[in-house]
Amino acid sequence: MNAETKSTDAFEPKIVAFVCNWCTYLGADLAGTNRLEYPANIRILRLPCTGRVDFNLIVKAFEIGADAVLVSGCHPGDCHYTAGNFHARRRWDLFRELLDTVGIDLNRVYFSWISAAEGAKFQKLVTEIVDKTREMGPYEDYKKLVAES
Amino acid sequence: METELRNAIRKLLEEKTVDVAIGYGRVGVNGAVGATFVTNPDDVDRLVWNNECRQNLATHLTRAEIKKLGKPAIVVKACDARAVVVLCNEAQIKREDVYVIGVVCDGIETADAAGNKTGALMGKCLSCVEHAAKNVDLLIGDEAAAKALDEKNAPNAKSVGHYEKLAKLRAMSQKERFEYWREQFSKCIRCHACRQNCPLCYCNRCVADKNRPTRIDTSSSLKGNFAWNILRAFHLAGRCVGCGACAAACPAGIELDLLNLTLANAAEDQFGYVSGKELGELPLIGTYSPTDKEEFIR
Amino acid sequence: MAKIGVFTCWCGENIARNVDVDKVSEAIAKLPGVGCSMNYKYMCSEPGQSLIATKIRELGLTGVVVASCSPHMHLKTFRKTCELAGINPYLIEMANIREQCSWVHSDKEVATAKAIELIGMAVEKVRRNHALQPIRVPVTKRALVIGAGVAGIQAALDVASGGVEVVLVEREPSVGGKMAGLSETFPTLDCSQCILTPRMVEVGQHPNIKLMTYSEVEKVDGYVGNFKVTIRQKARYVDIAKCTGCGSCWNACPKKNKIPNSFDYNLGNRGAIYIPFPQAVPARPTIDPDNCMRLQSMKNGKELCGICAKKCQTNAINFHDEEKFVEVEVGAIIVATGYQLYSIKKEQENPRIKGYAEYGYGKYPDVVDSLQFERIISASGPTGGEPKRPSDGKTPKSVVFIQCVGSRDNAKGITYCSKICCMYTAKHTMLFKHKVHDGTASVFYMDIRSGGKMYDEFVRRAIEQDGAKYYRGRVSKIEQVMVDGERKYRCYGADTLKGTPVVVDADMVVLAGAIMPSSGVTQLAQKLSVGYNEYGFLSESHPKLRPVETNAAGVFVCGACQGPKDIPETVAQASAAAGKALIMLSQPELTREPEIATIDEKLCAACGACVKACPYQAISIEEIRDRKGNFIKKTSRVNPGLCMGCGTCVAVCPSKSADLIGFTDDQVYAQIESLADVF
Repeated sequence: MNAETKSTDAFEPKIVAFVCNWCTYLGADLAGTNRLEYPANIRILRLPCTGRVDFNLIVKAFEIGADAVLVSGCHPGDCHYTAGNFHARRRWDLFRELLDTVGIDLNRVYFSWISAAEGAKFQKLVTEIVDKTREMGPYEDYKKLVAES
Repeated sequence: METELRNAIRKLLEEKTVDVAIGYGRVGVNGAVGATFVTNPDDVDRLVWNNECRQNLATHLTRAEIKKLGKPAIVVKACDARAVVVLCNEAQIKREDVYVIGVVCDGIETADAAGNKTGALMGKCLSCVEHAAKNVDLLIGDEAAAKALDEKNAPNAKSVGHYEKLAKLRAMSQKERFEYWREQFSKCIRCHACRQNCPLCYCNRCVADKNRPTRIDTSSSLKGNFAWNILRAFHLAGRCVGCGACAAACPAGIELDLLNLTLANAAEDQFGYVSGKELGELPLIGTYSPTDKEEFIR
Repeated sequence: MAKIGVFTCWCGENIARNVDVDKVSEAIAKLPGVGCSMNYKYMCSEPGQSLIATKIRELGLTGVVVASCSPHMHLKTFRKTCELAGINPYLIEMANIREQCSWVHSDKEVATAKAIELIGMAVEKVRRNHALQPIRVPVTKRALVIGAGVAGIQAALDVASGGVEVVLVEREPSVGGKMAGLSETFPTLDCSQCILTPRMVEVGQHPNIKLMTYSEVEKVDGYVGNFKVTIRQKARYVDIAKCTGCGSCWNACPKKNKIPNSFDYNLGNRGAIYIPFPQAVPARPTIDPDNCMRLQSMKNGKELCGICAKKCQTNAINFHDEEKFVEVEVGAIIVATGYQLYSIKKEQENPRIKGYAEYGYGKYPDVVDSLQFERIISASGPTGGEPKRPSDGKTPKSVVFIQCVGSRDNAKGITYCSKICCMYTAKHTMLFKHKVHDGTASVFYMDIRSGGKMYDEFVRRAIEQDGAKYYRGRVSKIEQVMVDGERKYRCYGADTLKGTPVVVDADMVVLAGAIMPSSGVTQLAQKLSVGYNEYGFLSESHPKLRPVETNAAGVFVCGACQGPKDIPETVAQASAAAGKALIMLSQPELTREPEIATIDEKLCAACGACVKACPYQAISIEEIRDRKGNFIKKTSRVNPGLCMGCGTCVAVCPSKSADLIGFTDDQVYAQIESLADVF
């Protein structure tokens, strides 16, 4: 991350999150309003809907050095656009299978439903992702592949 | 069968039912089988049908230069016929604007590096349970024999051929799989032959060729190759008919169709979806069910 | 050249406590294209905003990043600031360094580093922002209300009284809907017609309401603010402009009182030329072509009967009438098509739903549904309000009421609660007991659901004061038996509270059938692009926050077409829908957020993936032609009046010819890539 942390040996996981504007983004806002502290390793990218998340973005996130990726939106039935998350869910399901066959580490790709009221869930999930990624270490396989490119 | 096929096409051309026939002929060096276009009824003897007819000719249906020739007749195997159906469903062609000639296919042989046939059937053929093409205007060949072959293959269909390969791949550890593809993709030269030979890659400009933004590294870097091959497979999710044209065309010999098979398998297992089965069927991606599975979602 | 101004807010201490804002400003100032980077105590305050505005003007900034709170909090504020300062309001992005940084990370060094990255992402995004203009859509100041039951009547009156023209379409010959046929209404027991008919008359006379009865919506084109609706006016054979409603015709009809009247659920009769009930609006008759001798004979080239025409003083009867198609232009549409009772016996339209053969509905004449019972005890009903059973006209002494017939029954395929049956069944028992003092009213129920003002008190009154017998249990079967020469209906039930079987020999049985949306509603919904659930109830846009809006912009719903509900709730919802429609129609033009999907038409292959995936049916396949009209190619095209900007089309587009303005691939990839340097 910043120069200081980079110079130390401690590994700081880098997490990219693609979240929908209406549920998860507001859930993250609520975590803030309620001062629910969580690790600072996550970078949130706000999109209108999980329906907008094209999965090449996940690949891109790994390319730029992410150690884990989160995609999160409204619970089924709560989508601001009624069905964007349903479309996303079907694509995720298939995309996971593909990533699995390619040998991408599925422990580094997270999907979740977090509503605008679930600040605590956001806090808990981010903490868990960071802890788990810290435990797994940097995503060396992909980093190596990028380095060789 | 070959004679029957030639006669049928001669008649279609003579009667002006169609303006051009897209079939197979010995067109390559050393007489390799490839796409042949016949517009004159007297030329039908150039057409062949044998177990070297590897290409999926449906890829030509969307090409502007072929469209110019007028209404086509096309020779298809069962797998290719499903690509025609997908093209219709995706509004790239109108079903009534093409005359589809299905040929009963008892399997296509693989070719070695020199292009000679090996005597071994292609992986997709070992697990084939549809030897007679469906949704065709004319079927040439013995339907009963095709059915017998279907029945013969059915019990083991999901455990032989490239299914067997996929199972082996999936049995590896995640790291081993990654290493496997790392090695495979390091051979990729980004010639995009996989795309050019795919009947369903008809975009006017491929995402891989777009540069605002550059979604995929355009050079044949390892990261670009990963991104490209993942994206290519995913763009065919719920669409790929498993014809294997991509892998057959790959000069690096990468078994690209295993990626497509993964998705086709998932589509069938999880959504009961087989692409190209019916005219008018809705796409797998772009539709949803409120009850789609989601146990992986947190 | 980009010249981006970055304004970092302290938010008092909210941000500054955990983020070193000076360090942030300093770091951001070094980013390429950043023309100024400063911080201030309260950016959203008047001095904060004028600081931004001054810098925009002074430096000629091409883009602005405000690093402060959530965009949900102040994006609109800062957009306005930009606009006032003379740059396009869409040339601003916010970096959320409060909710998603200073408030959740206590290590100042870490939070500062993260804030810098978040701002860096926003800088990369705003660099690629474009000036956008709100989409302006003209508005036709007229509303269409479909269905003239109590919901449609209320909605039409409210819109019309708001000064906007209303076209009110009703498929029956009269307005009034189900409510016009009810006896008295819970929990006050005021007579349904007494409260409804004045409204019906008002609808008929209101200068802003164009009433089209005996008409149906045929086709809907256009989009929000600009719908073109084709309405099919069925042949009525009576010119209602000439007719005075004197009644000479229907009184003279030889078929008078010979044809079952559907308004009375076939318990009463009417003629071939008829008004469905005396208070009908318009009070103009209709000829039923299937039963009119004249119209039937005309098919064979003859001209029989015609007595009504002879009696008519105003020449209003026209046996050659034909259906007409009328096109109306409206800006908003309110759907109020109401409900019907689940058909208890007959084959179901929906194959997943099963009937109740075991109750003998349709087989036993005295087993009726609750709407039929309403007519039986209604003062205006076929029995004049005397409770008489259909088979022999005798006054029933023992009536069994069965609730939840269909509702909440997975085995029959309906899972939901019909919501109003507990209340009207209690009402039925009271009305029955008020008329037959020595009678017995027995109710079989699953649960009593009587939430609502004065509702539970009402049910208690039925039980405690009027002595209705309530059994918590189901009736498994009904048999017709003869007891002392009297026809009885033996109901085999259970009292699960006592754990004993209950058998009641009833003179009459009333079944509280499940509430289903009216027939034909799904076809209508498809014409309107409104969603509906598996039962056909129309889908509101959001169950809590947008309860009368639908996902088809400009189309609103109210009443039982959206879900089972009682009269008070229906009326409230109808007024809500009317209010929403009025809000929309009161504007000179509609402005919509310009952050919508766009298609690169040159590169689109017209595969239709986006068309199928779009939740709003906002995308269609169009042809591109040159000036001479020669066909060039097909392409997808987004209707800006309908697109809501979800971006689902972008994700499904294989060639990325679809993009989402405000969240373009160009912007999103730049945001991610900005992290490459710091990761």
